[in-house]
Amino acid sequence: MSRHQVALTVPADSSYVALLRATTAGVAARLDFTLDDIDDLRLAVDEACGLLLRQARPESTLFCGFRMAEPHLSIDVTAQADSPRLPPRDGFAWTVLTSLAGDVHASVDEDSVTLTLSRKREGATP
Amino acid sequence: MSTADISSQRHPAPDLEGTGTPVDTGFESADPRARTVQLFEQLAGSDDVEKQEALRNEIVRLHLPLVDHLARRFRNRGEPLDDLVQVGTIGLIKSVDRFELTRGVEFSTYATPTVIGEIKRYFRDKGWAVRVPRRLQELRLSLASASADLTQELGRSPTVGELAERLELNQDAVLEGLESANAYNTLSLDAPDNGESERQTMVESLAADDEALEGVEYRESLKPLLTALAPREKLILMLRFFHGMTQSQIAQEVGISQMHVSRILSRTLAQLRTSLLDH
Repeated sequence: MSRHQVALTVPADSSYVALLRATTAGVAARLDFTLDDIDDLRLAVDEACGLLLRQARPESTLFCGFRMAEPHLSIDVTAQADSPRLPPRDGFAWTVLTSLAGDVHASVDEDSVTLTLSRKREGATP
Repeated sequence: MSTADISSQRHPAPDLEGTGTPVDTGFESADPRARTVQLFEQLAGSDDVEKQEALRNEIVRLHLPLVDHLARRFRNRGEPLDDLVQVGTIGLIKSVDRFELTRGVEFSTYATPTVIGEIKRYFRDKGWAVRVPRRLQELRLSLASASADLTQELGRSPTVGELAERLELNQDAVLEGLESANAYNTLSLDAPDNGESERQTMVESLAADDEALEGVEYRESLKPLLTALAPREKLILMLRFFHGMTQSQIAQEVGISQMHVSRILSRTLAQLRTSLLDH
């Protein structure tokens, strides 16, 4: 595990998403992202959680992992699901997600679905 | 306030007409005070409803600079000046309805506390949705203004580090302030469209924006939801997601703070998410 990694596991319940948003802001601020970008990422995590919670298994957990590799920040959000499926790419939520996070990748395995958001810091002086 | 402070009310009326008046109304026209008295006299002597309306309107118009002047005192407190002028004008209208010439007080002197009271009430009512300590409220306000300044200077939105340096705070304090900003509620999603000219143009621009939604599978589920949004929410959503504008750019375009844009986006998306789920 890289040193520049933060991971948080919370109950798969929308009331815990605020915790992930706050952590996102903290991590992005550490990387010197601008306020615009911080807010975008915060919204993106919100949106990703919203998408995943729709298919999350009740009583399961939501995992959120932040990987910092200057000037990139990647965020994995994983939910456990009984029949995991990729979120529709033609939906509004996906449009929102891609405009907020820049690069969005979705993947499924037998019992979970993961959204990976990647954003490069721009504009800010190194 | 001590009883001595209200002693001025015992002064004869002419004294208040003079230079001792505490409020600089910013009037430039010939003699608005005399005109005001004249109008109120006509108003008191008129039985014609239409005539009364016209007189009231003229008195209100005559004192709009006063409202503007008073509203400016509350600038930089996180609310758009336009909104403050608007609620201040409500205070002005109330004053016109309650004012009596026979009291011998000048109208602007009489109206000032009512206008200020209305603006203060607006801050109280539309202010913090959650009780937030004063320290954080003040922090949020200084963050908002520092953030706007830095955005101007840098040509992009600032980093937390830059904000911390400008405000001579540590980064944790800045982050805390940004988090607390989420508890601040200025605009309800259900807020009615007040039909201001500015919003009117927004609504017009939205028709064209619908084309930007092409390619998104939205017709069945999303369109009615977007239509249900208040014009400002919809506009901000469109600018961010279909025109690729940054939050700071939107803030400038719409005339509100970036933090406000962020809050509106976050709330609007949450609302859409809930509605889509219910569908």
